[in-house]
Amino acid sequence: MNFELTEDQREIKRTARDWLAARYPIARVREIALDGAADDTWDEVVELGWPEITDFGMVELAVVAEELGASLAPTPLASHWAARLLHPELEGRGTVAMWDEGGTDPAASTMDGPAGTKIAVPAAEGADVFIVTASGGRHFAVPSSAATVEPARALDPTRPLSTVTFDGAGEELSGDHFGRAWHAIAVAAAAESVGVAARVTAMSVQYAKERKQFDRPIGSYQAVSHACAQMFLETEGARNVVLWAAWALDHDPDAAFMAANSAKAYASDAAVNVCRSALQVHGGIGFTWEHDLHLFLKRAEANARAFGDSTWHREQVAAAHL
Amino acid sequence: MDLTLSPAEEEFRDTLRAWIADHHPGREPDGDEASFTFRRDWQRALNERGWAGLTWPTEYGGAGATQIEQAILFEEFARARAPQLANVLGLTMGGPTVIAHGTDEQKERFLAPILSADEIWCQGFSEPESGSDLASLKTKAVLDGDAYVVTGQKVWTTYAHHSKWCMLLARTNPDAPKHRGLTYFLLDMEQDGVEVRPLVQITGEAEFNELFIDGARIPVENVVGGVDNGWRVAITTLMHERAGLAFALQARVQVALSELADELKGTKDPLIRQRFAQVAIEAQVLRLLAYRGLTSAAKGGEPGPEGSLGKWLWADLNQALTTLGLDARGPAGQLVDDVWTYRFLRARANSIEGGTTEILKNIVAERVLGLPRA
Repeated sequence: MNFELTEDQREIKRTARDWLAARYPIARVREIALDGAADDTWDEVVELGWPEITDFGMVELAVVAEELGASLAPTPLASHWAARLLHPELEGRGTVAMWDEGGTDPAASTMDGPAGTKIAVPAAEGADVFIVTASGGRHFAVPSSAATVEPARALDPTRPLSTVTFDGAGEELSGDHFGRAWHAIAVAAAAESVGVAARVTAMSVQYAKERKQFDRPIGSYQAVSHACAQMFLETEGARNVVLWAAWALDHDPDAAFMAANSAKAYASDAAVNVCRSALQVHGGIGFTWEHDLHLFLKRAEANARAFGDSTWHREQVAAAHL
Repeated sequence: MDLTLSPAEEEFRDTLRAWIADHHPGREPDGDEASFTFRRDWQRALNERGWAGLTWPTEYGGAGATQIEQAILFEEFARARAPQLANVLGLTMGGPTVIAHGTDEQKERFLAPILSADEIWCQGFSEPESGSDLASLKTKAVLDGDAYVVTGQKVWTTYAHHSKWCMLLARTNPDAPKHRGLTYFLLDMEQDGVEVRPLVQITGEAEFNELFIDGARIPVENVVGGVDNGWRVAITTLMHERAGLAFALQARVQVALSELADELKGTKDPLIRQRFAQVAIEAQVLRLLAYRGLTSAAKGGEPGPEGSLGKWLWADLNQALTTLGLDARGPAGQLVDDVWTYRFLRARANSIEGGTTEILKNIVAERVLGLPRA
């Protein structure tokens, strides 16, 4: 029984953190997300080997995903991972098109084959392959030549979304995609939320130590310090449940699916709660465009709705027990 | 990262599971005396197997087991719905305190009867005027020859009416700063000058007591950890209580959760399903937090902040779980149900006993996050 990351896992975490800090300082994230600068690191990401998740265990994937979330890097890496988990032989850069317009159940697309329109497709521009969900749990690999991409207005500016129309061409993928693959995707998304929660908790604690009102640091007031303690509790809890789920996907198949649903529900809520509370701790400055907090808040809110929201994942947990 | 048990731990779990199956005495009888005797017999059976003081060193009658094995014991007990141990405070707090801070004579005198449940222990910390601000306590102990004479009042003393010994925190130096003038004593409850009065709680039972101490005597050899050093002794005890207890408590939550799942099986009510799932998820979060605490305790020796997080999360969770148990009954929740009405009412104290949630949040804010003191 040991909850510590291995030396290799810690090394991966350090490498990811250092690289992300160098390539995606928050000022650079703002240039890309808010000012339209091009994100130009994909070749380097490929060189680092990160798109090739076949060499990663789920814990390693979760560790890197947490760092991705913490950095808010506007890279298409996480969307590509989701596509790779569904289609390991995928060539080039992939992404996932899962949401029918008006759909709420990620496993219940009514699209009849790869023909029709999907909303909220992440990192669609420049993708080589789309993994498209269809009715009956079927999945198709669709080349970009069969897709028409229309950029949408995304809540989270660090992760562009598009409406994509597919013309019907595509190759059906075999296998039970709503088994391990979708649960692994949920865990990776949950890990990103942990990264957001951890960084925003740290920002809030720092601000509560520095900001003075009534001649005292606001962190000396329990209304503020207890809010920060709550952020810490939920962040720690979320990280533990994500690591458990990641570990279980590779080592404990009996528990893995419920663990993954638990991780996505809890970590999504944690990041959302932390960011909303952080805005209250920061007061007026946190509500400004100039402050970085809104970028984290928007990522937390958007990520909570991607790959099944908390309500949907909780229902999967309920179904397993009841 | 590896969340599996080692082969040795698995073997211990299997041996333990078989032993519990062979020795489980069945359902606990009603009534305070009958229930107490039942719990004492159970502890004696466990002690004869050498497992009452599982983590205590073997030289003091323990089994020298690891914290992980202790956690396994808690989980197996909960799984089998095993009775509670009669001397829980002696086993989790009193004994470890004597082992850590006591003299050789004290270890010789006190440890064996804790394990055998021949002498039950209670804890005299809280006072009517000193709850969260424990260090402000007023019970005083004055040296008179070879004994201290104690006067004061304690409250929330679990099991006082069955106890031989009380872990008593009293003021020996009224002039020192409030944390520095306290001493940790072992008070013999069987003497004039000690009066126990049952304190009836909102559940209608009297699990706790009030303790009135008027001129009771404590021989100087019953000071633990040195005169005026009681705060430090008490804090190590409390930290151990929180870390160890987190595990026992989470194991009991898992049991209540599986009972609730049986009752709710097949329900279509989406709100009840959502609330159940949230409780089930938080129960996992608590279990993982407790495991994480074991990992850091195994590495660093001292319990970390996980103990405070775990106690806090458990209180929130157990209140949500028991509220759901009551809500799921619908209008029948107006009537007393033998299981859920009691659990719901009893859980109201969870965020108060053993450190209020507000104090735990202060500990996390100040000692973990480094925020300035209120």
